[in-house]
Amino acid sequence: MIRNINKLLRKPKQKNNDIQAEQEQQDVTPVDFLSNHFDHNVEALRLVYDRCSDVVFRPFLLFGKKRATIIYIEGITNVEGMEEFVLSPLIKETASETQPLNELFENKLPISKVKRMHTITECIESISSGNPILLYEGESAGFSLGLAKWEKRGIEEPVAEVGIRGPREGFNESLEVSTSQLRRIIKSPALKIQSMKIGSYTQTTVAIAYIDGLVDPTLIEEITNRLKRIEIDGILESEYIEEMIEDNPYSPFPQILSTERPDTACSSLLEGRAVILVEGTPFSLIAPISFFSLLQSHEDYYQRFMVGTLIRWLRYSFLSISLLLPSFYVAILTFHHEAIPTALLLSVSASREAVPFPAVVEALLMEIMFEALREAGVRLPKQIGSAVSIVGALVIGQAAVQAGLVSAPMVIVVAITGISSFMIPRYVAGIAIRMLRFPIMLLAGTLGLLGIMMGIIAIVIHLCGLRSFGVPYLQPLAPLKGRELKDVLWRSPLWKMDTRPHLTGEFNRYRQSPDQAPSSKKGGDTQ
Amino acid sequence: MKNILRILCIFALILLLSGCWDRVEINDLAIVTATAIDIKDDNQIELSLQVFIPKSLGSGGGQTGIAGGGGSVTLVRSQIGSNISDALSKLQSKIPRKVFWGQCKVFIFGEKLAKQGIQEHMDFLLRHPQPRERAYLYVSKGNPKDALEVLPPLERYSGEVIRELSDLHIGMQVTMQDVQEGLVGVAEAGALPFIKILPPGKGEKKLQGIPYIVGTAVFKKDKMVGTMSEKATRGILWLRNEMEAYTVTVKPEGVKGEISLNPVSARVKLIPQIRNDKWKMLVNIDTEGAVIQNGTNLSLTSPKSLQTVEKAYQEDIQKRIELAIQQSQHKVKADIVKFGKEFYRKYPKEWKKVEDRWPEVFSEMEVEVNVEAHIRRQGYINKPGGLPEKEVKE
Repeated sequence: MIRNINKLLRKPKQKNNDIQAEQEQQDVTPVDFLSNHFDHNVEALRLVYDRCSDVVFRPFLLFGKKRATIIYIEGITNVEGMEEFVLSPLIKETASETQPLNELFENKLPISKVKRMHTITECIESISSGNPILLYEGESAGFSLGLAKWEKRGIEEPVAEVGIRGPREGFNESLEVSTSQLRRIIKSPALKIQSMKIGSYTQTTVAIAYIDGLVDPTLIEEITNRLKRIEIDGILESEYIEEMIEDNPYSPFPQILSTERPDTACSSLLEGRAVILVEGTPFSLIAPISFFSLLQSHEDYYQRFMVGTLIRWLRYSFLSISLLLPSFYVAILTFHHEAIPTALLLSVSASREAVPFPAVVEALLMEIMFEALREAGVRLPKQIGSAVSIVGALVIGQAAVQAGLVSAPMVIVVAITGISSFMIPRYVAGIAIRMLRFPIMLLAGTLGLLGIMMGIIAIVIHLCGLRSFGVPYLQPLAPLKGRELKDVLWRSPLWKMDTRPHLTGEFNRYRQSPDQAPSSKKGGDTQ
Repeated sequence: MKNILRILCIFALILLLSGCWDRVEINDLAIVTATAIDIKDDNQIELSLQVFIPKSLGSGGGQTGIAGGGGSVTLVRSQIGSNISDALSKLQSKIPRKVFWGQCKVFIFGEKLAKQGIQEHMDFLLRHPQPRERAYLYVSKGNPKDALEVLPPLERYSGEVIRELSDLHIGMQVTMQDVQEGLVGVAEAGALPFIKILPPGKGEKKLQGIPYIVGTAVFKKDKMVGTMSEKATRGILWLRNEMEAYTVTVKPEGVKGEISLNPVSARVKLIPQIRNDKWKMLVNIDTEGAVIQNGTNLSLTSPKSLQTVEKAYQEDIQKRIELAIQQSQHKVKADIVKFGKEFYRKYPKEWKKVEDRWPEVFSEMEVEVNVEAHIRRQGYINKPGGLPEKEVKE
C-alpha cells in the first residue's frame, strides 16, 4: 500500500520537473538591445504590450525636432509629475543645433532618477515598476524616469501584533516604506539591505536586511542561496518564501518568525539575525529563531522586567495547558479515576451522567467545534462575526449542556484551553500547539497518561532535532547555555543583558558595557 | 517520507490493537465511597459497599444542586460470600456498573470479624491494585453495615463523615499502610479506631445518625483483643505524638473552677533502658499549651498562679498517659505504643532474646513518664474575662 502511495506521489513530481524545464526554456530570452531605429524600438514595445489597455504610448516631438514616445502604465506612474516636469519642458524647449541632445536632456529634466536602459527587457522592467520610458529618434537607449507613484496604504497600527506600550506603526505592503521604517530606527550605515526579484510573473522584490558586523556572514550567504533556489511563478505573501526556505518543511512548528512590527524586526537585527522583507505584504520574516522566540512578545521588553518575567511564566504555563489540558481530562476520566480528589470525581461523574459520548469523543467534538467557531470568526466580516460568537457561546456553552449532550466540566476545559492557546503571542505558534492537541487527545483516549507522555516525548524529540537555519530550535535550553537563559526563563533587566544571544550574536558578543545598573551610589555627572 | 508513513502505520496499529483495554468511562463506574466487612454465623463474609449515585447530584445545566440531607446520594448493597473476592464477584452481578475502589477511603471491619482475624482480608485489600494504601481502616461496634446505611445530615454520605473525623485527629488515624506495617513489624500489634453510631437527634429522621469514633480497637497480631476508652486513646495519641485539636480541662489546686487548655506543641521522647536485665521505658514529654477558657479567678499574668495551672496541666497529661500505658500493658497486653520498636533499635541483641515473649515482657515493663508542661499563650486577655478587678487572685 505504501509503495502505491509513493508511486502516486512520485508521478506528479516528474511532471513538475517537465514543467520546470519548459519554463526554463521560455525564460531564456535572447539579449535584445535597443536598436538605432526609433520606430523599431517602439514597435517592439508595442508588441510586448499588446492587448494591455493600461499601457499608454504618448508620442510627441522632442524639442520640436525629433520624434519621441513616452511609455508608461496608468495608475502606477505619477502622471501630473510627468506632464509638469517631462512633457512640458521637453515639448516647449527648442534646442540649439550644437548642444548634444544627451546633455541637454539631463540638464532640462528636473527629475532625480534618470537611468539609461539599453535592452528591451530593462525597459519592460522599468515600465512595470512604474517608471516611464522615454524613447526618441536617433538614440539607441531608453530613459527610465523615476516617476513611479501608486496608491499606498498609510502606515497603520499592526493589527496582528497589538500592544499597550510601544510604537504603533507597522510595516506595510510597500517595500520602500518598510525598509525606510527599519532605516529610521537603525540609522547606522551598517544596516545593509540587499534585494532580489523572485517570481517569474510577479517579479516580487525581496530584501534581506542585516547589520554588517553583527550577523554571521555565512548566514546571509545561506539565506541568499536559499532564496535564489526559489523558482516560482509568483510570491504573494512572505509565507511563500517561508515555506520555500525552511529547514524542515514537515514540522508543525514555524522555523521562521513573521512580524509586522518594525521594532521587533530591529531588535532581531540587533541580535544578529536577518530580516527578510517582501514586497506586497506587511509581514517580514526573521531568521534564525528558536522556539522561545515564539513565546516572547515585544511588550516583554517595554514594561518592567518583573512584569515581563511574570507574564513570560504565565505564558509558559498556559502553553502547556493549551497543549495538554483536554488530554489530561480525557485520560483521567477514562483511565485514572483515582488520580483526582473524591469530591471532584463525584461532581464530574454527576455532570457526565447524561452524556451519551465517551470522554474522548466529547473532547474531540468540543475542540473541533471551538476551532470551527474560531475559524468562522476570523474569516467572516465583522458584523456577522459577532453573531457567530453569540450563537457559538449559546449553543456550545448553554444549550449543549442543558440538552445533556456535553458535560459542563468539558465546556470549562475547552474554554480554558481556547483562552490559553490565544496567550501565545505568535499566532502561528498557537496554531501549531492547537494542532498537536488533537493527536495527544487521541493518545490520551487510547493509552491514558502513558499516551500523553509518549506524545510529549515525541514532540520534545522533534523539537530537539529541529533547526532554524542551522541554529538548534530549543537553544539555549537544549543545548543548555546557562547564561543565555537570561532571556528565556526570565526577562533580565535591560542593564543586565550585556551579551547578545550566543548562536546568532557571537560575532559581536557585547551589546553594551557592563555594570550599568542604576544606583544612587553612582551619582550624577558631578561625581 | 516512506519511512515516516510506515512508522505512523505501525503506531496506529499499536494504538488500535493494544490500547484501550482498561478503558472505563466514568459513566460505567460504581464509585465505592465506603466498604464494610463483617462475618456471619456460618463463617461467611458479608461485604457491603456504599456506592455513589451520580444521578442524585443532578446532572446537566439544571440548578438542582445537591440533594437535601434527607435524600441519599449513595446506595448500600451487600452480599454474602466465602471471602471478600467471592462476595465481590457475586455483588458485581447486582450492580450494573463496574465496582471501582480507587476512591474508597473508608474500610470498616465488624467487631466480630476483627476478633477472628483480619489478615485474610487485608491480603485482598493490599493485593488489589485499586484500594488506596492510604485508606483509613476502622472497627465498628455491631454490624458495620449500619454505619454505611445512615444518612448524615451534614456530609453527603457516611463514609465522608468518618474520614473527616479521622482527619481532625479526634481518634487514631490509621491507614492500610500503617496496619500492614504494624502487623508485620516487630511489635506485631496494632490499633484501629473504634466507631459507633450516634443516634439521630431530636427532630431528625430515623436514619440521620452518624458514625463517630469512640475509642480504639486493639489488635494483637491480626486479631482484635479488646478496646480502649476514649480517654485512654488520648493518652495513646500523646505517646504517638498525634495530638491535634483537642482540649485538656484541668482543675488547678486551691481554687474554684477549671481551666481549659489546648496543647499547641508536644515533643515526645521514648528512651528505652535495660539495667540489670530490667527493662524500663522512659517517656519524656515536653508540651506547650494555650489557654482557651479560664473558669477560675486566677490571673495568669502572675508567675505563681501560672505555675499552679502548669502543674495541674502537667498532672492531667501524666495521668492520661499513665492510664493509656496501664491499659495497654495490663488490660489488652498489646504493644500498640510501639515500645518494641524503640527497644529493637537500641538493643537489637537483647531484643532477639525476648522477641518471642515480647507481650509478656511488655506488660511487666516499668514505665516512667515525665511530663514538662508550659503555658505559652493566654489568648486575647490576661485576667479572667468579665470578673471584677478585686476578685482576681494574683
